[in-house]
Amino acid sequence: MPPLDRYLSNLAKLLPADQREDILRELSEDIRSEIEDKESELGRPLTEAEQLEILKRRGNPLQVAAGYTPNQGTFAFGPQIIGPVLFPFYVRVLTFNLGLTFLIVGAVFAALSLAGQPIHFGDLFSSVVLQLFIQLTAVTVIFALVEKHLSRQPHDWSKEDFEKNLKAAIQSRIEKKIQTGPKEVSRFDSMAVLVASSVALLWMQSIWTNQYLIFGPAALLIALAPIWHAVYLPTVFIVLVTIARAAVSIARPDWVLFRDVVSVILDAASLAIVYTLMFAHTWVVPAATAASNSQHIASVVNQWFPYAIFASAIIALVQAIKSLIRLYKNWRWHRSPQDLTR
Amino acid sequence: MILAVLACLRSEQYGYTLRKTLADRGLDIEEGTLYPLLRRLETQGLLLSEWREAEKRNKRFYRLSMLGEEILEKLLAEWKAIDASLTEIVKG
Repeated sequence: MPPLDRYLSNLAKLLPADQREDILRELSEDIRSEIEDKESELGRPLTEAEQLEILKRRGNPLQVAAGYTPNQGTFAFGPQIIGPVLFPFYVRVLTFNLGLTFLIVGAVFAALSLAGQPIHFGDLFSSVVLQLFIQLTAVTVIFALVEKHLSRQPHDWSKEDFEKNLKAAIQSRIEKKIQTGPKEVSRFDSMAVLVASSVALLWMQSIWTNQYLIFGPAALLIALAPIWHAVYLPTVFIVLVTIARAAVSIARPDWVLFRDVVSVILDAASLAIVYTLMFAHTWVVPAATAASNSQHIASVVNQWFPYAIFASAIIALVQAIKSLIRLYKNWRWHRSPQDLTR
Repeated sequence: MILAVLACLRSEQYGYTLRKTLADRGLDIEEGTLYPLLRRLETQGLLLSEWREAEKRNKRFYRLSMLGEEILEKLLAEWKAIDASLTEIVKG
């Protein structure tokens, strides 16, 4: 595979979708002109090493793509750790993870307060700071690795496929005016799902050994009930499949039906887990070494839990219905795209 | 840099020849800087571009728009005024 093709393929994945074809055509033309100039100067074709040298001088694809991407910020600590291309997704994942974590911390402290347990500002503050530190570190490390990988790792690619895909993309733009087909799965969305799920997996592993991460100081009084042991492995399995699905979608964003089918299966599995939890009746129990009032606290938390489970069930149901509708639409389009244009 | 690019594009050129012209005259601009700049200038209405075949390949040609010509004149006047002031200052 020629180095230029590899370089352009790598770059294509990072450019803004609406300008991608145009930018690639222009850059490809520019690089080819430079290679031709050099070849006529030397009177022989350039070796692969010489071509690589030209590409290296132009900068890695992330740096080049950054020039075309509206700058929404970067993360640097001395050298740049997360560039402008990945930064918006880094912020999105971090916001989602922190929001979810703080919601849980808030719910735990609210339940403790309702149970008459005195809440100390220091406890609340240390829980929030701990969660902030864990999430920030985990998400930043994962994104820094993704940034490093994208800067260095070339992807398999062939010129013929690239030209075919480019023509197909241009054709689809033209057809878009008269028909609505399924869009490719966004690579950055898949990347965001992959990172968020990986962090979720690490978090799930951690809370199993240290329930302080979910309950904060209340971990001295309450603990997770046995029902969570029952749903733990299926939940881990769902998260692992989600990670695998996102990884496949990054490699093959054109496999839209694959994404849709797996999403429906995952949503159904999530609903089954929520259904199991709904009829558990007991979600937290007094901690083994708990004080005398822990029974009371656990019963208050258990009174509030059905509302959270009910809200989760509605969210999971809406998500499952959305996935089903998306699958149906995309399946119909794949089956007979022309019929839908009539 | 903007002034140099606009001045060079009074006559139509495509990206690679523009870059070479600038480099030959002592202003070496990296591709990663030049092409995004050309796009921005086009978005702002200072440049016009079109894809056309030249030397058996499709190339994107850029040229100055009417607005670009006006802006170039203003920038040149500003540049000359700054240059004159600096020359006076350096002379002492």
